[in-house]
Amino acid sequence: MGDNSKTQDVLVIPCSGVGKVHGLMSREAVFRVAENAANHADTVCLALLVTGDAETQEKVRRTPCITLDGCPKLCAFKNVELSGGKIAKGIRVYDAMKRHRGADFGNATALSEAGWAVVEELAAEAVQAAKESSSVQGNRHG
Amino acid sequence: MGEAVSKVGVISCSGEEIPEGTVARQAVRRVLEALRPQQTVTLCLPLFLAGEEGERRFAREHPTITVDGCSKLCAKRGTEKHSGPVSASLVVAEILGDRAKGCHRSTRDAGKADEEAVWLVAERIAAEVDALAGSQAREEPSETPTAGAACCACGGPSRTGELTIEGKPVVIAGLPLIFQQLERKGLPPDGDGEDTLLKTVKIYHAIDAGEEAAYRTALAAAYRAHCRRT
Repeated sequence: MGDNSKTQDVLVIPCSGVGKVHGLMSREAVFRVAENAANHADTVCLALLVTGDAETQEKVRRTPCITLDGCPKLCAFKNVELSGGKIAKGIRVYDAMKRHRGADFGNATALSEAGWAVVEELAAEAVQAAKESSSVQGNRHG
Repeated sequence: MGEAVSKVGVISCSGEEIPEGTVARQAVRRVLEALRPQQTVTLCLPLFLAGEEGERRFAREHPTITVDGCSKLCAKRGTEKHSGPVSASLVVAEILGDRAKGCHRSTRDAGKADEEAVWLVAERIAAEVDALAGSQAREEPSETPTAGAACCACGGPSRTGELTIEGKPVVIAGLPLIFQQLERKGLPPDGDGEDTLLKTVKIYHAIDAGEEAAYRTALAAAYRAHCRRT
């Protein structure tokens, strides 16, 4: 992950919001995707992208992106768009959390069992989106 | 800094690509929750960089410490671009050196190396907070324990632990985290660990000499209860 010389099918980029459990879930979901779809998906540091790193911006512009945002401010989604990236899917953590209404997800430092369950759902959603994006690209190039 | 500092902003890089990014994040959380909850707030770097004026104003008006995973210094460069010079800049890779090799990106995989790395970096951040805030930075016992406790622009109060000392309730910020850390280090729940327990809590919570015996007993009981639960 993070090797700019590699060409991946998709980039999966979380907001990593440090103040809430939502941000940690977005981050952990991306790491899970990295395990489950290592040959297809990569990530970049959102902060590196936003601070204008040319190599990272170039990578985002040439690779479809899946963003995972913790809160409605949608930092990952907006920053990828602002950098000229194309978003294949924007996933919102709070949508997944709604399916577990009332659960204790942990906090911004450590996730509970319910928090990890949401991470698994988010990762599965991102992997599915990555496969669909790869399929679309394959059809275009085929 | 000649005047008393109300709050210090601590900004972590996002660092998704490397384990040092996760250490930076977790260390900042540790400072907010356990080490200096009354003196610190965090700012969400992507939100800050995306143009959230409230975050930028805070960084302009308060001292800020940036904690970056690597030498690319995204947190420092981003903060300085939008809000002026930072008060201190820490780089996890420089602090940890070879220790970073045993760390992981996901907290799911975190082990002893990660935990030690987080504490090491957190202690450095706390030292910087103290240097900025002077004598203000040391934890003061609070009558309203959760008021002003560790938070970010959007976060809630830190995890605290409550003990009864000589018949009075006493709140210790970050006590659950301290217990977790000591448990991971293998501190036994029986009497052998009481000195270590007291010594560790004293780092973060002022304890008068005359109250040490009461704290020792209460902490030992609370730690035993913690170990039974886990």
